[in-house]
Amino acid sequence: MGSGVEARKGRSDGLVALLFLIPLLFFYGLYYLYAFGFLAQVSRQRVSLTFVNAVNVGWDNFRLVATDPLFRRSVLNTLLFAGISICAALTVGFLLAMMISTGVRGRKLLYGIFLLPSLIPLSLFATVFGQMLETKDGAFNSLFRAVGLPGLQQDWLGNTGSGYAAVAILLVYLIGLPIMYYTSDVTSINLSLIESATIDGAGTWQIFRLMLFPLLRNTHKTVILSVLLGSFRAFDVIFFSTGGQPGGRTSITGTYIYNAALGNDRVGYAAAASLIVLVIALLISFGQLLLTRKDR
Amino acid sequence: MRTMGRGRLVALAAGVLATALTTSACGNSGGVGGGKTAAQDTSAKVTLEYWTWFPAQATLDKVISAYEAKNPNVTIKLHEYSNADYQKQLPLALNGGQKVDIAGVQVSAMTNTVRTQLRPVSSWESNLPSGWRSQLEAKPVQQTEQIASDKTLYSIPMGSIGSAFMYYNAAMLTKYGVAVPKTAADLAAAAAKIKAAAPGVTPVVFAGDPYWQEETLFTLVGQTSPGLSDTILHGNGKWNDPAIVQGLTEYKSLFASGAFDKSVLSLKAPRPTDLFTAGKAAFYIDGSWNDSLLSAAYRTANKIGLADVGATTVPVVAANGQPAARAFAEGGLAIPKSSTHVDAAAKFIAYMTVGAGVDLWAPDLVLSPAKKGYTPSSAVLNSPAATAGYTAVSTAINNAGSSRDSQQDFLTQVEGNSILDVLNGTKTPQAAADYMQSEWASGRYPHGGK
Repeated sequence: MGSGVEARKGRSDGLVALLFLIPLLFFYGLYYLYAFGFLAQVSRQRVSLTFVNAVNVGWDNFRLVATDPLFRRSVLNTLLFAGISICAALTVGFLLAMMISTGVRGRKLLYGIFLLPSLIPLSLFATVFGQMLETKDGAFNSLFRAVGLPGLQQDWLGNTGSGYAAVAILLVYLIGLPIMYYTSDVTSINLSLIESATIDGAGTWQIFRLMLFPLLRNTHKTVILSVLLGSFRAFDVIFFSTGGQPGGRTSITGTYIYNAALGNDRVGYAAAASLIVLVIALLISFGQLLLTRKDR
Repeated sequence: MRTMGRGRLVALAAGVLATALTTSACGNSGGVGGGKTAAQDTSAKVTLEYWTWFPAQATLDKVISAYEAKNPNVTIKLHEYSNADYQKQLPLALNGGQKVDIAGVQVSAMTNTVRTQLRPVSSWESNLPSGWRSQLEAKPVQQTEQIASDKTLYSIPMGSIGSAFMYYNAAMLTKYGVAVPKTAADLAAAAAKIKAAAPGVTPVVFAGDPYWQEETLFTLVGQTSPGLSDTILHGNGKWNDPAIVQGLTEYKSLFASGAFDKSVLSLKAPRPTDLFTAGKAAFYIDGSWNDSLLSAAYRTANKIGLADVGATTVPVVAANGQPAARAFAEGGLAIPKSSTHVDAAAKFIAYMTVGAGVDLWAPDLVLSPAKKGYTPSSAVLNSPAATAGYTAVSTAINNAGSSRDSQQDFLTQVEGNSILDVLNGTKTPQAAADYMQSEWASGRYPHGGK
């Protein structure tokens, strides 16, 4: 009897769960699986935005994308820029977050300065930054002239080194979200640990390095993964700041795919590039998942 | 065990849904829309859905009001988009079965993207005034027909645009005693004079974006090889043709001579326009769509404080060169298959292309009208520099050696960046030309090399 009632209750619970899940499954299916299926289909075609008169080209689009040196550069740039962002987040971002959390003077100003890019559209922020890179009237070179250091002026978008430096400056400034993660998670640390360390004579730097940094290990993981995957969606940051200059050398996967889709009948090619990027991003997520499991 | 079973049930439901959606996604692509020809609505009162990106909304409102006043049974509902958005919005709308009665078509950029959703002009030209073709310049109509991959006329062009041209601050040149340059040497001398007299002014500005570099390169190449742009873009020539290498060399030489300042390459559109209209640049190299700057009324309406503006062709670089420009039909007006008011739509298109509507939109000077014999009034062009500028631009457009055409994906990924590499000293002209040719022939750009 008892087991029969339990079984009925269990079935009923399952149905309720299914009812709750159906809307989610529907939207998941609609927005993701349909899109992925469509992308996979189109990636093997030569077709325009109207999606009529499609010509099946097999794996040609994938072969052409994979052998394009510009695509390979864009993937490497994406990973490089992600690396720069992660380093900035784990160092500058972490230190700023700790300073803000420990009640240093001017913390609200600091918080505001670094959070600002996260509060306004990135396209607007990147456009303003792009204008700051102008050789003659740009803010950076004007500043160098104003402080008597004209020798530091750069043709920011005229050579590869300064182009990468410009992107790095921009990325270092875009650490508002990691700072938020850290300031939020640091409140969960048991303060008695810090107090004990202080009583035992630990200095500020030792507390930062030997206690807070290891204690926020899980936050580091969140920051690393979010920044890494976010770098695959950083189209607006690059498109509106350097525009991929000089000579396309600061292009990332997002700008590559956007430009690839501009020609006639190029939607399939762009879809193939998107799928390859998607696979790379999934592999990174999968790798992170494995590492996290190992830690447990 | 039972819980596992129900888990499987949920998973199965999710799987079925996922498979169904994925399959339907795969099944539908390639055949969405279909371009069915809509049946006609014969009501006396007609509302025409007009989609376009050009001309400016204020101008179109004026034209539409005038047309509706003369045709009380017709209401025109305007849907205007920005240039870049429109290239995506119109194909998607037509493909989705959206009812559109009149569609503006960017002749070069969009004809082949949307042609399967458009009615050929031959199917509705009976609603146009007889002899409509003879009222239009032959070249833009021919270009509109030839750009379609099936060589069919799908739209009637409102006019043409061309590039590159050099606009100048006529009042500034007069102030500093600078003559309008005709050669590269003249331009270098003018730039030196302006730099010395007004250090805060950049003598020549233009967009440093990759897309613009093609315009300047082919203008310089066209000075000695007028048809080469067409030859290459039609797949009959090579990007490492000696004339291209020479063009790249000439372009770079303009920086070496001081005619152009390298800092200009860091300017992104629309910064060059801002600098010129603010009086911070003496010359502005861009396309004929900037003819509006010649109009004092336009400058006043847009709060541009320049007293007088002129225009000329880009100075000739090679000793044996001739002034050159590339031009192409623009502002095509078409009737989509989804239109339910073909007769009324055709009559409005006639009004906009060969009728009185031209006199209402053409004074904006964005397009050189395809309608024969159009001349802006003295109220629009009220100075000798403006009048001479308009004539110089119109003449160059009518005598253009090549079509103003490009292959956008190749331009943004390869060509523009290669030209910039030459100007920045990263590549030699020959290396850049060879790289462009190898990519053109790589198969990555479907309408490129054979």
